[in-house]
Amino acid sequence: MKPKKVLVVDDSKLLHRMFEMMLRGYPLVHAYDGREALDRLAEHKDVDLILLDINMPRMNGLEFLAAVKANAELAKIPVVIITTEGTEDDTQRGLQAGASAYVKKPFRNEELLGVINRLSAGTGTPA
Amino acid sequence: MKPDLPPRLGNALEELRATLDRAAELAKEIEKQPEAAAPSVPELQAQLDDVRSDREELSSKLAEYESQVSRLMNLYVATYQLHATLDPAEVQATIAEIAINLLGAERFVLLFWKTDESGECEIAFSQGMKADQSGLYKEGIYAGGDPAVDATLADGVLRIGPMDGSDVLACVPLTVQGTTVGALVILKLFDHKQSLKPEDRDLLDLLAAHAASALFAARVYSTTDRKLKTLESLVKLVRRQ
Repeated sequence: MKPKKVLVVDDSKLLHRMFEMMLRGYPLVHAYDGREALDRLAEHKDVDLILLDINMPRMNGLEFLAAVKANAELAKIPVVIITTEGTEDDTQRGLQAGASAYVKKPFRNEELLGVINRLSAGTGTPA
Repeated sequence: MKPDLPPRLGNALEELRATLDRAAELAKEIEKQPEAAAPSVPELQAQLDDVRSDREELSSKLAEYESQVSRLMNLYVATYQLHATLDPAEVQATIAEIAINLLGAERFVLLFWKTDESGECEIAFSQGMKADQSGLYKEGIYAGGDPAVDATLADGVLRIGPMDGSDVLACVPLTVQGTTVGALVILKLFDHKQSLKPEDRDLLDLLAAHAASALFAARVYSTTDRKLKTLESLVKLVRRQ
């Protein structure tokens, strides 16, 4: 089982390229800040996983997450926070804000793929 | 008493009897075989141990391959992204992204020798330097003072800390056609990344080999493009007059 469409929200072009390589076979939607990500979600109703950075211009990851969780339609989409903010407080803040998982940069590819597979299995998303 | 049979028929019956006898013997052997072929418990245990050992070996090899793929992917993406643009600012941003996202650097500076004879380096890019207590990197200039950085700028050799008399974790020479034009100085990693790992060495080597040339090419292109546009404007102006 794998997600139908993954929204990648990060202001780093390098990371977008990395996700393209790592998640071959997963259709990706790209956004470079929280505001753009909300626009992409409005366009792509079939996004069923979000990979989210925290430190971004215009609208940061936590603000975006709050907006997603406040929307009944979007709230069910699992969100994986992927960030350099790595303290225990940061992790708790992210999880309390509604993230399904918290991955610290730099991450190992297999670590992130493991999280995605676990979330996909948990949500029962059809392949 | 054997009946008198024509010789050919008698031979055929003899052959038939012999065949039946052999069939009976084979049947007995086959009946015995399952017991004979059934392995003993210790044999089964040994086979199971072999399978388990093979599985562990394969699993460890798989983990090793996954780790290698991950490393190669990082290297590929870093190289690709460094050479994906001819905008100097974007190349600098990519160097910073590699340092932050792939190496886990929280505090670092990107130094380039100034073109004048001052013997100073300009700080082309820095991250997290507000917390730096060394006082060596200020007002956009590094004038020397850290033995590891000075040595790398002088000999173009990659240095990874800890080093005597230096707070630097890694000092990556940036070289273009064998000439050291600057250095990437990593001063602190994120708290959740305790130290640079052996696989990070590949990325540092890659930065040493590609970062400066990518930036140099972008700067040359940018300068040439600017000059070309100026010349084009001049030509237009002259034509109008």
